[in-house]
Amino acid sequence: MSSRINRPAPVEALELSDPELMRQLATGQLGALGALYDRYQAPLRRFLARATQDAHDVDDLAHATFLSAARCAARYDGRASCRPWLIGIAAQLLRRRRRASSRFVAVLAAFKGTLLLEADPRPALQARSDVEKALGGLSEPKRITLLMAEVEGLSCEEISQALAIPIGTVWTRLHAARRELRQALAARHAGGGEP
Amino acid sequence: MSTTCPRLFEVEALRDGRLTGAERSRFESHLSVCGACAREAQALRALADELRSAGDSADSDELHVRRERTRLLAAFDEGLVPSARAPRLRSWLGAVAAVLVLGALVAAFVRWPVRSAARAALSPAPPEPITVRADSSARWSRQSEAGLERVVLDSGALSIRVDHATSQRRLLVVLPDGELEDIGTTFSVSAAAGHTTRVTVQDGSVVLRLRGSPPIALGAGDAWSPPPLPAVAPSAVAMPSPAASSAALVLPAAPSAKHAVAAVTEGDPSADFRAAMASLDSGDNATAAARFAAFLARHPQNARAEDAAYLRILAFERTGNSAATQRAARDYLARYPHGFRHAEAEALTR
Repeated sequence: MSSRINRPAPVEALELSDPELMRQLATGQLGALGALYDRYQAPLRRFLARATQDAHDVDDLAHATFLSAARCAARYDGRASCRPWLIGIAAQLLRRRRRASSRFVAVLAAFKGTLLLEADPRPALQARSDVEKALGGLSEPKRITLLMAEVEGLSCEEISQALAIPIGTVWTRLHAARRELRQALAARHAGGGEP
Repeated sequence: MSTTCPRLFEVEALRDGRLTGAERSRFESHLSVCGACAREAQALRALADELRSAGDSADSDELHVRRERTRLLAAFDEGLVPSARAPRLRSWLGAVAAVLVLGALVAAFVRWPVRSAARAALSPAPPEPITVRADSSARWSRQSEAGLERVVLDSGALSIRVDHATSQRRLLVVLPDGELEDIGTTFSVSAAAGHTTRVTVQDGSVVLRLRGSPPIALGAGDAWSPPPLPAVAPSAVAMPSPAASSAALVLPAAPSAKHAVAAVTEGDPSADFRAAMASLDSGDNATAAARFAAFLARHPQNARAEDAAYLRILAFERTGNSAATQRAARDYLARYPHGFRHAEAEALTR
């Protein structure tokens, strides 16, 4: 569950360590935010796109994540990479967003993502892999927890803090998410791929 | 080999860090001999690998990423504006509505803010970071506001020294026919009969903004005196009008000023942009605007030129100088009619 190597960032952004960047950001320096964006926008957007299954929302969520990060930069814990921290902020925003639109999400969840995906004309979605489609069938809390753990490499403690849920709930969600994902994948393979 | 094992659930527990100490080592030993548990561990790893690799494919296009970057920085900047825009500064700057678009040659690049902060922390601030010496006939006054030191010169000559290592304040010299912004420097300025008559810079650099003329950046060793003809009208800003000596940079106020741009020496775009950003970051918005203008003049083809043009508008917006903001916005639109920030710039021209 180690975090992966980040994409190469512009030369300027490479000059400062993440903690240094966060210190600058805490003093309100615009350049630091730019550097942070250059460094982490790609993984953050990928996380958000997958977590939400909704490409339309990703820009605003990424935007809000970076702005929140800027606001609470002074509280950064100083670890070498702030990617998990950013992902944690993004997850918190997703949680709030989900509360705000819980009824809408409930309708989507009732379709288990399948109907939505089939109806979606976007080629990017149609070309998605089986695992991506299966991921779309998970409830958002499970999907987010699974992505945070398996893709972003956050520990269960970190996830529990970011989502403000007991660690036991993290474990339960991870277990349920894996089980559902495997069942969905098994069903796809058994049914010849497409549902 | 059995296909199942009563300890199978512990595979996931191990993966999620639920097993610690002796529990963990005992299960790890079990894992090495139990086929069912080993297969389960492998399956979980494979699932995680698949999740990771599936997410690698989709990358959004470069332009979109840049556009979003600009949007983010602008939003962040907006959040900072209320504190940066003191009402009295704004109203005063409103009175200097005729002040033209800024320009600056970055003579002494601002180092990384970290380092300057470190320097500032090491050296205790002397009581007087800004010293003004006036000749006997000078008519002038001096006012201090939050973050701004204003010297108003009606006539006569002043010799000014600013120690920016110890002062975070802006120094603005208000002249009968314009203003002079200091960027870390020692300089002299004279005025007579309602006009600025001479500016000489011994150290650092200044930006001279006279009504009806493009801004002029003067570096160390430069001297400026008014041209023999009346000041050039704003429509003719393409000409490097007031005769600045040596390598003083005359900035174009409009994109048509191609030859003025061409006359400018090449610099390191990344350092120039960083210097401008550092000014903006430190709240020195007037200098930031000048530096972004200088960046545009020096590196019109650079990938960040559009960012610079837009950030220049923001810098003016933060100073509260609406006339300059509008001009900068129009300049942006002229350069980038289909730019990322077209709508915002359009709104700011009014």
